[in-house]
Amino acid sequence: MTTHPDAADGALGAPVELPWRVLPDYRCFGCSPANDQGLRLRFAHTADGGIMCAFTFDRTFESYPGVVHGGMSTTVCDEIMGNLLVLRLGVSVFTTSLRTRYVEPLTVGATYRCTATTEAAAGDTGPHQAQAEITDAEGNAVVFATGAYQPVTEEQARKRMAMSEHEARLVETALAELRTP
Amino acid sequence: MAENMSKDEIIRTVTELVAAEFGRPAEELTPDTDLSSVEGADSVKVLRSVARIERTFDIELEDDQVFGFKTINHVADAVAALIAERS
Repeated sequence: MTTHPDAADGALGAPVELPWRVLPDYRCFGCSPANDQGLRLRFAHTADGGIMCAFTFDRTFESYPGVVHGGMSTTVCDEIMGNLLVLRLGVSVFTTSLRTRYVEPLTVGATYRCTATTEAAAGDTGPHQAQAEITDAEGNAVVFATGAYQPVTEEQARKRMAMSEHEARLVETALAELRTP
Repeated sequence: MAENMSKDEIIRTVTELVAAEFGRPAEELTPDTDLSSVEGADSVKVLRSVARIERTFDIELEDDQVFGFKTINHVADAVAALIAERS
């Protein structure tokens, strides 16, 4: 299992409420608090308009002994960049490309922070770019990632996501709230 | 915009980014400085510098280039080529 330091901790700023919380059975592998096998990441705002999270991987996510599997770092980066864009744009987005530069392997049991930033703004047409950076306890950057994300219309979301009409309306309302200045 | 930068400006920016990651004053580094000879240099610092350079110029350097970089001038040439390619 992954441990999840409380993103509401003062050092991380105000906690972020994701629009998916309105779904009673929301199971996102990256950010749902209800998915026991997921990462259960919690996000907080940063001073520069981005978001951040803190995480620790245990041996469940091990690659070489004591080393976190590289795919997990990329998953964290993808999750935080995607959610940042959703929060910024008020629409769902799908990842279209992802690039990770690994500087140093992550250590099992160590706590890291991941921050995401983007220059995307509501009203921009996609695809949108975002950047993520994972830093260790000393503040050294260990992973850099860049992602491109395509916004999806309400109609596309209904086609691609397994939601009832009621659930789709709940999500659309939550996303619309994000678009309200 | 990186597209409007001269080669000298690219060298200056690359030098500043490398110096910051290596923890050395930028004045210590010249375009011909052998990166492996800089005090405290290691492969992690080089990789971290490369990541910062990629982010600053919004480019993606190939790994076979990254592990072959010898000097700041060499890095700047690769950066300039990628900027020119997308212009």
